[in-house]
Amino acid sequence: MTDTIIEAQSISRVFQMPAGPVTAVRDVSLYVRSGDYIGLRGPSGCGKSTLLHILGCVDTPTSGTLLFDGRDVAVLPDAARSLLRLRQIGFIFQRFFLLPMLTAWENVELPQSEAGIGKAERDRRTRELLDYVGLGARADHRPAQLSGGEMQRVAIARALANRPRLLLADEPTGELDEATGEQIAMLLDRVNADGTALVVATHDATLAGRARRELTMRDGHVERETSR
Amino acid sequence: MTIWSTMRRAIAMASRSLIRQPARATLGVLGVAAVGALLLDMLLLSEGLIVSMRDLLARTGYDVRVTATEDLPRNGPRLHDVQTTLATIAALPAVRSALAVRFVDAEVNLAPDMTIDVSLEGVTGQAPHPWTVLRGRDIRDAGEVVVNDSIVTASGVAPGAELMLQADCGAGTEALPQSRLRVVGVADFPFELTNEHTIGTTLETATAACGAEGPLQASVILVTSAGDPDAAVKAIRTARPDLGAATNEQVLGRIQETGFTYFRQISSVLTTITLSFALLLIAVLLTVSVNQRLGEIAALRALGFSRGRVVADVLCESALIVGSGGLLSLPTGAVLAAFLDRILKNMPGIPSELHFFVFQPSALELHIALLAATAVLAALYPMHIVARLPIAATLRDQVAE
Repeated sequence: MTDTIIEAQSISRVFQMPAGPVTAVRDVSLYVRSGDYIGLRGPSGCGKSTLLHILGCVDTPTSGTLLFDGRDVAVLPDAARSLLRLRQIGFIFQRFFLLPMLTAWENVELPQSEAGIGKAERDRRTRELLDYVGLGARADHRPAQLSGGEMQRVAIARALANRPRLLLADEPTGELDEATGEQIAMLLDRVNADGTALVVATHDATLAGRARRELTMRDGHVERETSR
Repeated sequence: MTIWSTMRRAIAMASRSLIRQPARATLGVLGVAAVGALLLDMLLLSEGLIVSMRDLLARTGYDVRVTATEDLPRNGPRLHDVQTTLATIAALPAVRSALAVRFVDAEVNLAPDMTIDVSLEGVTGQAPHPWTVLRGRDIRDAGEVVVNDSIVTASGVAPGAELMLQADCGAGTEALPQSRLRVVGVADFPFELTNEHTIGTTLETATAACGAEGPLQASVILVTSAGDPDAAVKAIRTARPDLGAATNEQVLGRIQETGFTYFRQISSVLTTITLSFALLLIAVLLTVSVNQRLGEIAALRALGFSRGRVVADVLCESALIVGSGGLLSLPTGAVLAAFLDRILKNMPGIPSELHFFVFQPSALELHIALLAATAVLAALYPMHIVARLPIAATLRDQVAE
C-alpha cells in the first residue's frame, strides 16, 4: 500500500447531451495522500461534483486513468468497486441522504452491518461515532426529528463508520446556515486531524480555505492550486 | 459475503421500512389480503364441486353405478326386470353387493287442503340402504318408510305415524290411489337437495305406489365392488352389454363434462383477474416508493452497498407485503368462502351435502405459489430501476431538484 490513496491521471468526463457533448471535467491530474485535506473550489457547474464522483468511484472518466492504491479502478467490476467504496471511501452529501425510516443510530450502524462487522463491535463503534459528532443523546431520533446540522453530523458519522481512508464531501454546508456550517467545518477539520484524508467540494471560499491544498476549478479544469 | 447474509440484511431493512411507513404498508397488505382472499376462493371453487361430489359418492359406500343407458342416474330410462338384473350383477365375483333404487316424485297429504312434494326412493337388494337412520329404525317390510328431517319439520310426523302418499310416476298415472305408509324412522339422505322432502322405502312399496304390477323397475343399481371398481364395471359390461356401468370417477367425469366446467371456467377467469390486480397494486406501490427514494438509494450505492443488495431490498419489501397480505388472506378467504357457499347452495338442484368451496392442500399450495410469483413479478420493474440507477447522475439530479 502506497502513501498515495488515489491518483487521477489526465482524467476527463464528457456527458453526451441532446444539444451536444458537454465536458464537465477536462484533463485533470490529482493525487490524494493519507492525511491530505483538499478543497475543490469553484462556481456551480465548474465540475467539482463530477470530479468528486470520479474520485469516489461512482462515476467513470471518459478518458484518463484513476488509480486507487495504485490499481486501475476502470478494470474493477461493479461489485469490487462497491466493496472499495464500502471499506475505503466515505461520502458526505449536500442533502445528507439519511434513510428517513432509520434512527441516527441505525443510519450509522447500517454501513458497518453491510461490511459484515459483528453486533458488539458495531454497537461500540456506533456509540463512539455518535459521541464523536456530539449526538450521543440523539441516537434514537429519526432524521425528521433532527435539525439540518444534526443530520449532517449523523451523515459524517455514517461516512466514518467503516474507518475509510478517504472522505469525500460534496457541498457539506450547502444546506446549512452560516453558524451551523461553521460547526460542520470544524468537525471536518477534526476528522482530518484524526488521520482521514478529506476532499471537500464547495463554492464556499471560507470552507475551501480551511484545506491545506486548495484547487480552484473553472470550466472543468483546475485553474489554480494553492498549498498552505 | 453470502447471498443468505445479503438477504437477511435486506429482510431486516425491508421490515423496518414497512413498519415505519405504516400507511403504505397497510395499504399494500390490505390490498393483497383482499385479492388473496378472492384468489383462494377461486382456487377452492375450481375443484370444490368435484372434490365435494367425489366425497359424497364415496360416502355412500357404492363405487359402481349401473343404468339402462350411459346417462347419469335419474336422467335416463329405467332398468326393467330388476330382480333378474340385480341377481346377475350380485352374482359376479367382482361385485360384493348390489342395490336397486327407483326415484319417484310424489305428494304427501298432511291435511285435507295441505300437501307437500316429496322424493320417494324405493330400494331392493342385499347392500346397505343409501341413507343413514338418525332416529327410530330402518325399514324392514313393505309399507314402511323412513323420512328425512325436512318432512319432520314440515309435518311433525314421528316414528309410528302414518302418511298418505300419492305418487306421480309419469304420463298416464295422474289418478293413482293414495298409499298409506308407516313411518318407522328418520334418516339422512346424502343426495337430498336443500329443503327437499325425501322418503325411503322398499322398491316394492314404491312400485305399488305407482300402481304397477309385474317385473320391478329401477332408476339405478348401486354396486359395491369386491375392491376393484374397474374390474366390476368390466364384469358387468361383459355380463350385461345392454346396460351402462360406470365407476364413481367415470360418473364424476360425466358430471364435469356437463355442468361443473362452468364453475372451473369462471374461477380461471376470476383467478387471472385477481392476480393481475395484485400484480398491478404491488408493482405500483413499489415503483412509487422506489422513485421517491432514488436519492437515498444512490447514496447507499455511493456508500458501498452493492447493486445486488439494493435490488434485494426491493424484492424483500415486495415479499413482505405479499407474504403478510397472503397470511391475512387465508382467514379472510375462509370466511368469504363459507358465505359464498351458503349463497350458491341455494341454487335449485344442488344436493344439500354438496359444497362449492372445499379446502384442499393443493389449493393452498397453488395459492402460495401464485402469490410468491406475484411478489417476484411485481418487483421486477422497480428492481430494474434500482439495478440500473446511475449513481452520480442521480445524486446530481437530486441536488438540482
